[in-house]
Amino acid sequence: MRLKIIRIIIIVLFLMIVAELFYVQIIRGRFYYNLSVNNRIRVVPLEGWRGRIMGRRGEILADNKISYNVMVTPQEIKDMEGLFSFLSAVLGMDQARLTAIYRERKFTPFTPVTLAENIPRDKAIVIEENKFRFPSLFIQESFKRYYPLRYNSTHILGYVGKINRSRIEQVKEYGYSPPSLIGYSGVEEFYDPQLRGGDGGLQIEVNSRGQQVRLLSLREPTKGQDITLTIDTAIQQIAMELLADKTGTIVVMDTQNGEVLGLVSSPAYDPNYFIEKEYNSQLKRILSHPKSPLLNRAINGQFPPGSVFKIPVALAALDSKKITQHTTFSCPGYFEYGGVVFGDTCQYASQNLIESIAHSCNVYFYHLGLMLGAEGIYKYARALGLGELTNVDLPYEKPGFLPNRRNYLDRRKPWYAGNTINMSIGQGDVLTTPLQLVKMMSTVSREGIEVQPHLIKKIGEREVNQYNAQSQLKISKAVFEIIKQGMRATVTDPAGTAHDLNMPQVYVAGKTGTAQSSSNKEHHAWFVGYAQGDVRNIAFCVLLEHGGSSHNATFIARDLLLMMRQEQLL
Amino acid sequence: MPNVKRNLDKKIWIYTISIIAMGLIALYSAAHENVRVSHKVFYDQFTFALLGIGLMYVIGKIDYRRFYDGAYVFYLINVVLLAYVLLGGRHALGARRWLELGPISFQPSEVTKLALILALGRYLSNRRPSLSFNFFTKAQTFWREFFVPFGITSVYMILIFKQPDLGTALMLFGIFIVMLFAGGIEYRIILGFLIFCLCLSPLGWSFLKQYQKDRLLVFLNPNIDPLGAGYTIIQSKIAMGSGQIFGKGWLAGTQSQLNFLPERHTDFIFSVIGEEWGFVGALLLVYFYFRLISNSLYIAEQVKDPFGVLVTVGIIAILTLQVIINIGMVMGLFPVVGLTLPFISYGRSSLLIFMMMMGFLLNLSRRRTIF
Repeated sequence: MRLKIIRIIIIVLFLMIVAELFYVQIIRGRFYYNLSVNNRIRVVPLEGWRGRIMGRRGEILADNKISYNVMVTPQEIKDMEGLFSFLSAVLGMDQARLTAIYRERKFTPFTPVTLAENIPRDKAIVIEENKFRFPSLFIQESFKRYYPLRYNSTHILGYVGKINRSRIEQVKEYGYSPPSLIGYSGVEEFYDPQLRGGDGGLQIEVNSRGQQVRLLSLREPTKGQDITLTIDTAIQQIAMELLADKTGTIVVMDTQNGEVLGLVSSPAYDPNYFIEKEYNSQLKRILSHPKSPLLNRAINGQFPPGSVFKIPVALAALDSKKITQHTTFSCPGYFEYGGVVFGDTCQYASQNLIESIAHSCNVYFYHLGLMLGAEGIYKYARALGLGELTNVDLPYEKPGFLPNRRNYLDRRKPWYAGNTINMSIGQGDVLTTPLQLVKMMSTVSREGIEVQPHLIKKIGEREVNQYNAQSQLKISKAVFEIIKQGMRATVTDPAGTAHDLNMPQVYVAGKTGTAQSSSNKEHHAWFVGYAQGDVRNIAFCVLLEHGGSSHNATFIARDLLLMMRQEQLL
Repeated sequence: MPNVKRNLDKKIWIYTISIIAMGLIALYSAAHENVRVSHKVFYDQFTFALLGIGLMYVIGKIDYRRFYDGAYVFYLINVVLLAYVLLGGRHALGARRWLELGPISFQPSEVTKLALILALGRYLSNRRPSLSFNFFTKAQTFWREFFVPFGITSVYMILIFKQPDLGTALMLFGIFIVMLFAGGIEYRIILGFLIFCLCLSPLGWSFLKQYQKDRLLVFLNPNIDPLGAGYTIIQSKIAMGSGQIFGKGWLAGTQSQLNFLPERHTDFIFSVIGEEWGFVGALLLVYFYFRLISNSLYIAEQVKDPFGVLVTVGIIAILTLQVIINIGMVMGLFPVVGLTLPFISYGRSSLLIFMMMMGFLLNLSRRRTIF
């Protein structure tokens, strides 16, 4: 019975569809047919306005310039020869070259072909005035991305370009079509859906002379949203100058809320190179540069942390009650285990935890490492966010790597006590990104309160709050206090490794690191620390890739802090 | 038994393959000499149609009870997949519908349709007869007969609505209502529920995304804003109507060949058929669909096992709803909700799932005498 009812409903539904088919295709068919065939329809694409990107004080980082493009509708061309000779005279381009471009880009008779892009305004006016002679010709206004501050903030911003084949596969579900622009790397990519304006177009009906008869439909291009970042361009400028001729990265983050104030990776490039065709040679140089300027070292570079890793090790030893702050070990300058000698650069009769952090004594931490075991270190390093993504709002972030028995087993590699010893001073296979270490330092400085590093402040006029959540680590405050004493002693102790940073203007604490890299190049120089200023408290990191001794990093850190102080940024 | 239809399995095969063949021809045209839709789409769909035929054959042979046994597990696995799709893909801020498993990517929302039909089929076929000497209170009966199946459906609906995919979420609701109806629930419960939903719908408005609101508004009032959000509908109507009786000929549709039609290889493929093959071609396709559905209903009428009946009805429901709504949408009869045309729209997951459903019907048509 009920199946009968279902059958009747289905029949009714199908009859309805057939009736509608009949109405649209047969009764109204003529009308639609005229619309579609007898009249000539032309589509004029209108590009959407991409949202601007601004720094925290409203400084414009990415903007749009109007550009004029010369377009031709193939089916409207009457006098091909005349048209191209006219264009070549106006644009100063070779006529054969123009014809070649036209052949290459011609697609269907209806679809306009772009002959020249970004021509000067006066030439555009000349062409517009001669339109009556060549009805196929018209000028399209489009927007061009423009980065006024050039090198400042390169890696944060990324750049825009036409969608390529691999990207279109990922995003075509979301309404992107091949000619539209899309962000590549950086904020341009991460916030592309917000920044991007919707492409629109005019569909116009033209008469036999190519004049517009009426507008059939218009899809307004829509405006993308402006976004405001947490970045301070003044800090960027300072950091960029400090790293000018070096390879490395500087990251500065507000410990109160996780706002990334500065993030510079060197060498950098000018994102305008990707936009303007005239920079082609510079662009090629960037792409083949041996130091890969495209790499954002702060989040995509994975480096051994060296002695900076002693912070999580010390924390682990204290919190799991293996030692107290008064536990001492003597350091003869080397450490022997299982017949293998592990080196150290200094000798001390006996020193406690705080002194050993200040002096960055390897032997002390070899002892801690063996007491904790690899798993003990792993657990705390992981709790501090090492070996996992910080989830900062930038694409392609790398997680770094923390070795332990299990992932060694997965790779069928044996784990020896020697691995643990190497791990306890941040060598072996330990890899971190600079941003991870800044986040760790921020957590330590706030005694266990973790913030989420982020770059977005506002989308349109709306404040973005989703990154403001803070969480509390389950490690006692007393433990953090001892670690902080050790890091402060690194600066204040005359034998401390960062004594250069002992200055009255700024309160600094931190940890140095000189990390061996796998190749036979110079060591990586690290300084990761936090500073309390009048304006704000920051956690920061200076990394010089193959920069030699950590002293090189502390000098830069000193200049960074002093200059920030001078400009009232700290 | 009166009116026994023979050779139902053969008919299912014939109509399924005819529809797919028409679809492939239309898809070839949609992707012809075109930058926006690559040729790959056609070969891709072709490969998956072949794969689907194999799958349909295999499912037709499997022991039918296995679907019953696996129904709930399948349901749960799919819940996990849907949740995973929502949580994964942090990077893309638009809709999240795709799941990547190594080299294979698919849309769990398509699989959901089958999973829901099987799960509801199993649950509803287990209902005790209502003759229980008033052992259960009215509330208990209501709970068992209505709320539990509603819960089963809502989990999926919410997960899919979140993607956001309004069309599929509504489809699931349709499956639920039709299967509940076929399961023999009292009329007044269904009627009451539908009225209840109608009263709540203004509330639902606030849950919709802006673009979904736009589409609905344009549908309700097409003459106010025909140039903005109504772009798609106008273009597809021009394409359909300009086909007239015999169409403009294969590969010769000006609307579709000239990129005026967005989504012409997926949601709007029917307008390609309408434009190039005219009323005759469109009618032929609609006839094939009708015959396929009608024969499926014969299967439902002849099967004795309640699970089989319910699942068949579920399949009929989803097939009918998608065909009617998709075609209606192309002609501006329904709002644009983003539903594919079964067997025809480009979409590997969608094609395979519908062919699996047909395999299930084949299975039943052969075994109807056993139960």
